[in-house]
Amino acid sequence: MRRLGLRARLVVAFVLVTVLGAAAAAWSSAGSASAALVTATQARLCESIAGQVGAVAPQLTYPPDQEALDRLRAAVGPDTLVTYRGLRSGTDNGLATGALRAAVRNGDRLVTQRVTAGDRPWLLVGTPVMITAPDGTRTASGIEVYAVRDLTAVEAQIDDLTRSAATTAALALPLALLLALLAAGSVLRPVRTLRDTARRLAAGDLDARSPPRGADELAELTATVNEMAESVQASMAAMRRMQADARRFAADVSHELRTPLSTLTAVVEVLAATTDGMAPDARESAQLAITETHRLVRLVEDLMEVSRFDAGTAHLRVEEVDVAGAVRDCLRARGWLDRVELVAADGVESRVVLRADRRRLDVMVANLVGNALRHGAPPVRVHVRADPAWVWLEVTDGGPGLPEHVLPHVFDRFYKADAARTRTPGSGLGLAIALENARLHGGDVTAGNTGAGGGARFVLRLPREGV
Amino acid sequence: MDILDGVAAILLIEDDPLLRRGLQLALGRHGHDVRTAGAGEEGLRELRADLPDLVVLDLMLPGVDGIEVCRRIRATSEVPVIMLTARGDDFDVVGGLAAGADDYVVKPAQPTVLDARIRAVLRRAAGTADGVRVHGDLRIDTTALTVSLRGGPVALTPTELRLLLTLSRAPGRVFSRQQLLEEVWEHDYLGDSRLVDNCVQRLRAKIEASAANPEYVRTVRGFGYRFGPV
Amino acid sequence: MRRIWLVATVLLLAGCGVEPSGVTDGGDAPTGVAPGVTLYFVDGQGVLTPQPRGSDHLGTITEAVSLLLTGPGTSGLHTEIAPTDMTRVVVTTTPDLIQLVVPLTVRDVTPLGIDQLVCTALGVHVQSGGSRRMVVRVRFTLATPESDRLRTCPLISPGR
Repeated sequence: MRRLGLRARLVVAFVLVTVLGAAAAAWSSAGSASAALVTATQARLCESIAGQVGAVAPQLTYPPDQEALDRLRAAVGPDTLVTYRGLRSGTDNGLATGALRAAVRNGDRLVTQRVTAGDRPWLLVGTPVMITAPDGTRTASGIEVYAVRDLTAVEAQIDDLTRSAATTAALALPLALLLALLAAGSVLRPVRTLRDTARRLAAGDLDARSPPRGADELAELTATVNEMAESVQASMAAMRRMQADARRFAADVSHELRTPLSTLTAVVEVLAATTDGMAPDARESAQLAITETHRLVRLVEDLMEVSRFDAGTAHLRVEEVDVAGAVRDCLRARGWLDRVELVAADGVESRVVLRADRRRLDVMVANLVGNALRHGAPPVRVHVRADPAWVWLEVTDGGPGLPEHVLPHVFDRFYKADAARTRTPGSGLGLAIALENARLHGGDVTAGNTGAGGGARFVLRLPREGV
Repeated sequence: MDILDGVAAILLIEDDPLLRRGLQLALGRHGHDVRTAGAGEEGLRELRADLPDLVVLDLMLPGVDGIEVCRRIRATSEVPVIMLTARGDDFDVVGGLAAGADDYVVKPAQPTVLDARIRAVLRRAAGTADGVRVHGDLRIDTTALTVSLRGGPVALTPTELRLLLTLSRAPGRVFSRQQLLEEVWEHDYLGDSRLVDNCVQRLRAKIEASAANPEYVRTVRGFGYRFGPV
Repeated sequence: MRRIWLVATVLLLAGCGVEPSGVTDGGDAPTGVAPGVTLYFVDGQGVLTPQPRGSDHLGTITEAVSLLLTGPGTSGLHTEIAPTDMTRVVVTTTPDLIQLVVPLTVRDVTPLGIDQLVCTALGVHVQSGGSRRMVVRVRFTLATPESDRLRTCPLISPGR
């Protein structure tokens, strides 16, 4: 059987039970009514035959002659056989069984037997006619009466009974179905309410509750679901508070770090201007301080960026940006124009405009190109391509490319593929920030290799219309 | 008065003592004469006592808030103000610009960058002088670097003046925000276009009869700004 | 599941219709034949004596009592009922009582004669299949308390 739904199973079970119950009751009542009918008919027939014989017996000559036998037979009716020794009158249509005859001959009681012949049921009645002596003793007279009666009418009646019982049972079916549907409905309604509530909860509406009705298992379940929703809501609220705290923390830290860093930046510049007059140790120390301060500033700036992404407070300042021009500006500002080849696909050169945050775009392009220049071999190319919906910036180099084990981690924070390069000027957050910036726009950055012998390929994809 | 010889009298209003001293040293090395104040009230007093060529103002100040200080400075003078902000993408910047600041630098600021901004702001000349430009009720003297409206003088900050000079140099020509950032503020391609919008607003407030329907400084939607035609 | 349906159907069909049976008792066998009727007369000692008559069938009570009234014949028994030409007797049989209306007065019979009447009637009754506990009432032509008595036959009725 296919897997049926809850409602279908309930209804089927209910209907089955009801119909089977009705059928059993109908069948048993029809059965006992039939039996009673048969018994009553048989008794009636026996009584009638015995009465008929008894009424005419005193008039019969004894020992009987043919005429007496005929008279007796006539009194009993058609389909009757009367015998006395060798004399016979009438016929039993050959239906009287040997057992019946033996019982009549050897006994002093009226006996019956039901037989089926020619597809019809018959009642065989056989009786000896007794002689009663004045003192009451009875002896067999030798006269035997066999009568055959057709029970077809009774059978027809029984069939009618059975048919009407079956009809009644069948009538129970639609009624049972209706009741079952009502019962199933009343059981399933709370289940459906609960399901709807659960669905709303899953969809994010954490205020969804369903009122528990009654005190059964379903009500308990409803109460439990409500509790669960409460606790989820509370957790969400707690998480939101934590996020708000985190954001405030990021803001506070940002403020706290900037001022000392500003001081360091300012004085380090003064130091840099005065290294000429210093002793070699002092000069080297000063230069180290200068370098590390710059690096620290960059690292803190990157950390601030990342913390803004995490707290969800990163803002996009969207403007119309000329893609090719922006890339060229980025390269020019860093003095990379002569080291990087900018390839624009047809039509891109002619003012393909993108809605993006200018500063963030600059950061992304600078990071990708900077990585290519630092870790890859020339030629470093930036290929710009556009379709009505997207702009693609593909940065490729001719260098060794990215090893297999590095590829999945290349955008992880602080991930440095080559341990020996720990002293690169980067903070280790460049690609992570590039990825976050791309996602903020509704785009993406993917890393791969250009194929056999080639170097790495990073593809930056941004939507034309902004997020 | 052109201050291209490098010495500017600067008033630095910064509450952190170490940063105050550090910036004083650094800017001093760039040839500027730096006075300092540790809080807004003190700064305003110093200002009244002796007007500097430029004010470098930290937005985060105890007591009177930096933006309020800027507003009060603007109320009494056209001295250029450069803000020091903690973040670049913030209400602070917008608030400060609306209060009348000419430019802003994000902390930690490299003194070289700050120096470049200072010099840019103080460069009052914008291109070659070409006599007096008269447009309607507006009279711009490019040699004396004065502006008058219907005969009465208009007090403009150096930045506002430079913007007006740049725009009116080619009336009818559209300048994009990027172009204006480069020409007026000498910012690179990553400049903040809010600076332009803000300055235009302040300029309009001073020379336009109706800021909603400007005659002189017009917006060209999707492109930028242009002067007139009147 | 299919098997349940099959069994149920078979059971259902089996219960219908009239089934053949074995030989079953159907009650008492009828009776009533007899080679003749038995009348009651009195012998020389004054004892009530049955006298079978070969009438080759039992007949009714009316026939028996009428025959009784015609006399003993040449059997050596005598009757204690006064002879009468009128032998018409009205017999009424109810489930509790046999009533004989005889064309006699109470003086036409002796007690034994009454017994004759009663026994004759009861004898036929019993031989026809009736109960031995039946009682008889003899009504005489002239009113007399004897007409109301319920009588039994000493030779037939049980007990006593």
